[in-house]
Amino acid sequence: MTLLIPLLILLPLVVGIGIFLVGSKAESLVGLALGASGLVFALSLLLMFQVCGSAVPDSAASGATIIPRVEFAPEWLHIRLPVSVGGHPVYWHLQFGADGIGALLVLLTGIVGFVTMIMATLQIRERLVSYLALMLITQSMLLGVFLSMDLLSFYLFFEAVLLPLILLMNGWGNKAESVAASRKFLLYTLVGSVPMVIGLIGIALQSATPGRPSTVSLELLSAIAKESQLAAINAAPGDVLNSVSILANKDQWIVWILLLGFGIKLAILPLHTWLPTTYTVAHPNTTALIASVVAKLGVFGIIRIVIPLTPLALSTYAQMLFGGLGAVAIVYGAMVALSQSDLRKVLAYSSISHVGFITLGLMSMNSEGLSGAAIQMFNHGIITCSMFLILAMLEQRRGPVSLNDENCGLASIYPKLAVMMVFFTLAGAGLPGLNGFVGELLAMTGMIRVSGLFTAIAVVGTVLGAWYGLRIVQRVLFGSNGDAKSRFHAQVDGDLKATEFVPLIALACVCLFIGVRPQDSMDLIENDIKRIVSVSEPSAKAVHSDIDQLAQSQP
Amino acid sequence: MAPAITLILGGSLLLAASLVLKSGKARDVHGQRSGMAVASLVLLLAAAILGWIRVVPDDLGQGLFRFDASALASERLALLGGLIVILMSWSTAPRAHLGEYYGCLIIMIGAVPIVGASNDLVSLFLGLELISIPTYIMLGIVKSDNAGAEATIKYFLLSTFASSFFLLGISYLYGFVGSTNLQVIQGNFATANRLTSLALVLVMCGLAFRVTAVPFHFYAPDVFEGTSLTMAGIMSYLPKVAGFVALIRIMGTGMNSQTLEIVVPVLFVCSALTMLGGNFFASAQNNLRRLLAYSSVAHTGYLMLAMTALLRENADPNVLYSYLAAYAAMTLGFFACLGEIEAAGGKTQLVGDLSGMFYRRPAASIGMTVCLISMIGLPLTAGFWAKFLVFMGTVAAGTKDPLSIAMAILMAFNAVIAAGYYWRVLSKLFENSDAYVPLRVFRPSLFVAYTICVVLTVVWFFVPAVM
Repeated sequence: MTLLIPLLILLPLVVGIGIFLVGSKAESLVGLALGASGLVFALSLLLMFQVCGSAVPDSAASGATIIPRVEFAPEWLHIRLPVSVGGHPVYWHLQFGADGIGALLVLLTGIVGFVTMIMATLQIRERLVSYLALMLITQSMLLGVFLSMDLLSFYLFFEAVLLPLILLMNGWGNKAESVAASRKFLLYTLVGSVPMVIGLIGIALQSATPGRPSTVSLELLSAIAKESQLAAINAAPGDVLNSVSILANKDQWIVWILLLGFGIKLAILPLHTWLPTTYTVAHPNTTALIASVVAKLGVFGIIRIVIPLTPLALSTYAQMLFGGLGAVAIVYGAMVALSQSDLRKVLAYSSISHVGFITLGLMSMNSEGLSGAAIQMFNHGIITCSMFLILAMLEQRRGPVSLNDENCGLASIYPKLAVMMVFFTLAGAGLPGLNGFVGELLAMTGMIRVSGLFTAIAVVGTVLGAWYGLRIVQRVLFGSNGDAKSRFHAQVDGDLKATEFVPLIALACVCLFIGVRPQDSMDLIENDIKRIVSVSEPSAKAVHSDIDQLAQSQP
Repeated sequence: MAPAITLILGGSLLLAASLVLKSGKARDVHGQRSGMAVASLVLLLAAAILGWIRVVPDDLGQGLFRFDASALASERLALLGGLIVILMSWSTAPRAHLGEYYGCLIIMIGAVPIVGASNDLVSLFLGLELISIPTYIMLGIVKSDNAGAEATIKYFLLSTFASSFFLLGISYLYGFVGSTNLQVIQGNFATANRLTSLALVLVMCGLAFRVTAVPFHFYAPDVFEGTSLTMAGIMSYLPKVAGFVALIRIMGTGMNSQTLEIVVPVLFVCSALTMLGGNFFASAQNNLRRLLAYSSVAHTGYLMLAMTALLRENADPNVLYSYLAAYAAMTLGFFACLGEIEAAGGKTQLVGDLSGMFYRRPAASIGMTVCLISMIGLPLTAGFWAKFLVFMGTVAAGTKDPLSIAMAILMAFNAVIAAGYYWRVLSKLFENSDAYVPLRVFRPSLFVAYTICVVLTVVWFFVPAVM
């Protein structure tokens, strides 16, 4: 039981709402907002150390696959509904806690939140205080999702993220299009998330038996799920196929409905069309937060709920379908990024491409793939955040950046900015030694055990990824000395200031650290992944007999 | 029965008072207005206290009325709605007909618990008519222009038409069992035949009009457009509560599979048509009143889906009551906000009239925002739990029948369509412009009305058990 968790969720919420209520005129509140965000960052670091320091939980006792290592679940935190299910009144305990994966994403939220808030003070010209307050509220909701250990609070925070985000898009986006774009974002997300609640209710109600009231606790649910899935897989030899398919069919609708919701948040290929509009219309500083953390909600949901709770049904059809979609998304995103000229759009589609790798890793359902996906969530968050922040700085100095103005030659005008841009582009392209490489390699290693074809497509995607990355660098940074062709010559207001440079350097250090010493972050999530794999891998193998063929053919 | 009797007797007294009120040359309209509203509130308070101190016996008996959980829930819903509606009426009631207006209103409020407690077809019909007849009078007196007259005639004709459907249905039920007692009728459901199903479908048709279900919804947009805001609020709430309570009363539990095979698909189709129709027509509307009418139709669709779960799973009728409570808070709250804007001199006929309202009338706009978020069903509002409970009931029924889950998913997509037009209204409120004149007239009663609604909407999110 630790007070760190409620503090993490409530601190930004209370400060955010407080600032919002006090009023947007008081400029002195900027410091308070920044301080709160810095404190959240510090707390998220502290939480990570606590998780690292706590004893590795023993999964053998309860059989659960999701066990928080730091927990906050007091007795009084419950919800009672005026209905009863299966003879038991509905009385659900809400639990909060962090395991390794959760702690990693909490840290990501802390870092990205702090950096985007600092940058916002330089970027946002109007109603800065309200903007910061909304950013704080968004952070609180995001932390709530990552720290929740039951279906209900997960869903509540998952939905509640929408409200501040819509306001951020509406109030500080591209004026002409922001209303239409935020409406599209709202409806698109709701199409996924409203049906999702039915799937979550389905999971919760299935846990109710005559002797056991329904529960929403992920720990209990995962134990129940593991027991029933393994019982089906290890049934009498002649009966395995039958019992597996019965269980898989029973959960099938839940899986599809959850994947629709998470897939839309994740912007997997046919469900991605909200993403380019949202990313290009919102202020780049907002986009940095959306692209790096909000888009991870989908991945987190799959790794937290779909894979541990319904692995058999997932592997029946959806595993291969989503794996394929992920592979195609990598290539598709990269190709579209190559053909766009607006830098915002290029980055948006590159994000689709990168998310493809995460999906690929998730759908391999083995330990390499899942670790790759979890690490890549963090890495992609850091890299995208930096790229969008750099974009914001460029736009502040020069207006919209188009790759069609060939030979912008900005490197000679903004040398520091150019260095950072090259660094993060290379990290995104997956250069060994930087963090992008670790996640992509692991995801592909995982996938090759499941499907050689998808991995081959993904490899093509990495080449294209390097291509569009270098195209950005070439067109924007190099080619001329910059003076002659700059349309905004009069407005140029110098290279990066210290307040802009330092956060970027810090982010770069994180990239470098994970790239050089991936083991440290792997240690953090290793145990959680191991437990999830103990149920997901047998499920995948029970359904697809050809998994691991490549590995077996070359002993 | 004490609360209902108090309300109906009190209502009759107020009706009688109208004779006195009109005489006298120097009549003090403002004083009368406040006096009547306060008198109504006192009646409501008396009814609430009488209901609160009532001791419910263990043996509920077989008589004309039964005080089970449904009866108590419907009483609470009626008193809650009544409180808000009377506060809304305080400054908007027609000055020339104060006595008639409040008398009819109080009788309507008192009739809902009668429907809720009825254990007999006759008393049930009596309760339903006690709601309908005052509605005709009120529609006639709140607005005397052409649109108002059209609304009145339309509602009157269609309502009597629906009542005859209902009567035909219950006459078959009587013919089948030989008794008008609902417990006896339900005891015979186990041996029901196709004729019973026909009777039940006819009853549903009759009640579908009261709850504005497709295809009996056509009057709703015209009436909402033609009558006053307060009256539209009343029409969207009280008849709906009565209709659903009556449905729960008659359908009850214990149907055999043969009856369920007919009744449940009819309810499914009706519910699907109602939510799809309501939402699609509402999305196409620029007229705010008609939009609200169709949105109320859509909510009926969700409630009918909850009804199917209730019939099959013997689930708690609490799903419906919680939904209706949340619905009361958000819909009546929204109407109260609109009422305040109108009282202050703003226009509320079209969606576009609300443009930039946040800068003209911040308090009412924030109230509307909360109500709209609740109608969309997002967290931090009671509307979230309302939809959540319907989903839960349907999924519980879906363990045996996949169609039920499919209906839940259809409802989820409908909620998204609805979010589209609610968002359209919501974003209008915050539209930016400098050229707006602030509205400064302050109506305390309307302010209190929507404050209650907003507070309830938010509080119920945190303690859904008391909804």
